[in-house]
Amino acid sequence: MAADIFAKFKKSMEVKFAEDYGTNQQGGSDIESKTANFLRLGPEQSPRKLEMIAAGKEIAKKRGLVGYNPMMHTGAPLGQRAITPYTLSGTDIVADPDDLHYVNNTAMQQMWDDIRRTCIVGLDMAHETLEKRLGKEVTPETINHYLETLNHAMPGGAVVQEMMVETHPALVDDCYVKIFTGDDDLADEIDKQFIININDMFPEEQAEQLKAAIGKTSWQAVHIPTVVSRCTDGGQTSRWAAMQIGMSFISAYNMCAGEAAVADLSFSAKHASLVSMGEMLPARRARSPNEPGGLSFGHLSDIIQTSRTDPEDPAHVALEVVGAGCMLYDQIWLGSYMSGGVGFTQYATAAYTDDILDNNTYYDVDYINDKYDGAANVGTDNKVKASLEVVKDIATESTLYGIETYEKFPTALEDHFGGSQRATVLAAASGVAASLATGNSNAGLSGWYLSMYLHKEAWGRLGFFGFDLQDQCGAANVLSYQGDEGLPDELRGPNYPNYAMNVGHQGGYAGIAQAAHAGRGDAFTVNPLLKICFADELLPFNFAEPRKEFGRGAIREFMPAGERSLIIPAK
Amino acid sequence: MVYNPQYYPGATSVAANRRKHISGDLEKLREISDEDLTAILGHRAPGSDYPSTHPPLAEMGEPECSIREIVEPTPGAKAGDRVRYVQFADSMYNAPATPYFRSYFAANNFRGVDPGTLSGRQIVEARERDMEECAKVQMETEISCPALSGMRGATVHGHSVRLQEDGVMFDMLDRRRLENGTIIMDKDQVAIPLDRKVDLGKPMSEEEAAKRTTIYRVDNVPFRGDEEVVEWVHRVFDQRTTYGFQPL
Repeated sequence: MAADIFAKFKKSMEVKFAEDYGTNQQGGSDIESKTANFLRLGPEQSPRKLEMIAAGKEIAKKRGLVGYNPMMHTGAPLGQRAITPYTLSGTDIVADPDDLHYVNNTAMQQMWDDIRRTCIVGLDMAHETLEKRLGKEVTPETINHYLETLNHAMPGGAVVQEMMVETHPALVDDCYVKIFTGDDDLADEIDKQFIININDMFPEEQAEQLKAAIGKTSWQAVHIPTVVSRCTDGGQTSRWAAMQIGMSFISAYNMCAGEAAVADLSFSAKHASLVSMGEMLPARRARSPNEPGGLSFGHLSDIIQTSRTDPEDPAHVALEVVGAGCMLYDQIWLGSYMSGGVGFTQYATAAYTDDILDNNTYYDVDYINDKYDGAANVGTDNKVKASLEVVKDIATESTLYGIETYEKFPTALEDHFGGSQRATVLAAASGVAASLATGNSNAGLSGWYLSMYLHKEAWGRLGFFGFDLQDQCGAANVLSYQGDEGLPDELRGPNYPNYAMNVGHQGGYAGIAQAAHAGRGDAFTVNPLLKICFADELLPFNFAEPRKEFGRGAIREFMPAGERSLIIPAK
Repeated sequence: MVYNPQYYPGATSVAANRRKHISGDLEKLREISDEDLTAILGHRAPGSDYPSTHPPLAEMGEPECSIREIVEPTPGAKAGDRVRYVQFADSMYNAPATPYFRSYFAANNFRGVDPGTLSGRQIVEARERDMEECAKVQMETEISCPALSGMRGATVHGHSVRLQEDGVMFDMLDRRRLENGTIIMDKDQVAIPLDRKVDLGKPMSEEEAAKRTTIYRVDNVPFRGDEEVVEWVHRVFDQRTTYGFQPL
């Protein structure tokens, strides 16, 4: 496997640096040469920049106010070295760099939309209210009727009240509710259109784990309209959902609209039975639930679905989580919510393009399997005991291999032209590897921090200023029992102390959490409800293949939701 | 017994060079005039007075303060100079310096300096004349190679980019180049054109750069080959990890 990935990495370098792209005249270059001929062709060498320059001129003319003009770059415009494309790791999709900024990429936008607009609401408490308090009968038939009502109401259709305005179905066609349960008998009775069937969506062993974890409970997977979520915020998701849930119960079970039990149903939907994707952040960051800063690494691991579609390749599972995490946490959360601007894209793409991290990780898999008797394969009785000696061995070999690869392939070094990019890749490979071998995510975190130390000493440089704080003190937190320090990686998140300011880390941490569980063959990382909720092919974004989806977004093949074409003048 | 600072572990030439950089015991390889240094720094016109942000300390009537009595102000602070910067980018293809070792050099050998360390550049901020003293040493000694190191205030990328075919580190803003076997610089740190060509000296040969560098590389001195340094890093890692293991 590692040999195949190494060949893929070399191919990506050749596509990027040894073939022409646009008019960059890179064809025939040697990917192992330490020198290059810098032609200084400017932005016009890139097909996308040409399109953007034309658009900028047209906009300026139309509105009478200047806008995009790459010649405004002080000293010289972009393109003094070759503008080169990116291969999305694990795929054959080649994308223009600009198309990996989330503003230019609808798949990236939709991934975040699909998470932010989702909440999970338990059905059992509401059913108990209906049965025990009101004496109503709840049967599979009534549940089906309720779900039919709810799938009318959730997108914005009216029930109960007269003369209500409604949303146009064609604008909210991505909104729906399905349910899932660990009770196979109940699942069989529910109309197929409404059920996420655990037995169908997961490998048999994972399905058993999931059903055992959630028991015979029943849950609603709610996805409110993308357009609603974009106009409001993540905190709106549960409120919108709870309103429609309450109204649908009233309608489906012929309740009195004002009776006190409605408050119980509302409380259940808004609080007691609600599972949000992300927790609310403290006042100094002031974000509602279901915003990225509160989305734990364990939750993100559970949202990404590669663990069920490719369970025998735990390295791949972890790499998809790293890619998704770097996009969401770096490009959208830190890059826009917390900072603003365009630079964060460069940090994030390093982890999911050009097969550089993949190459390092699969090298590690072979190293572990050779030295530790197949410990990187899926299983629980093949793991090596997590100890500092094991972490040191694996993380050191991983980091040294990664460093030497950059040294042997100057094009890879030029691809990851910033130290933060390289630090992300080297540390993520080390952390994922230590996790895979031990099945212990905090051993993975240890590997991450050791990699940072080795990297800094080998090259006398690391990332930007902030890396020194986070990555020099991080090791002291990995095994601390103090509550705000020693949290298991699965429960850490973007707002964990010291994690809140640094790009290039959080996707890696999520991948490390995932690697520990994918390596063990676990069906989920921390929350089975999220894992099942996103096992749904009706979602616009395919959470089993986030890196491929980003590529489809970049080459403009991805179809997003929440579009407004219906209600705007035709162009 | 006289204490001899150890500075850095390691048995290789890279480790030895790191110890030299930190100690400040450096070989002078070239000269740059004060006027030329002032020109490429770009903070003031060569020959002009230092702009100041406050009167000389002696004229300020400072309050009684034991710390002020203990700490002798630097010349720049005494005179009331502005705080200005010098920043270098160093190629990963065997440039003599690396960002951390430029910082250690500055912090160990100069007073009143504020070093900042990144992956592709290293900055020292200080009162202007103090900064110039630090900058001059870096320009004239084995810490820098004119071809593989570059004084760059903005748009610094180049440290990890392949070298130009003439062996010079890439510079998007083309501040300096090889002319007649020597490196000349005709723009200042932020690429504002100068009215002169400043001669920065001859580039190091590949062999000399490999001998003087402080970066480990697999094609020169591999990091994994310097076992003492790797062992030392492991020791730091062990100690930080176990330090944090506090079950109370």
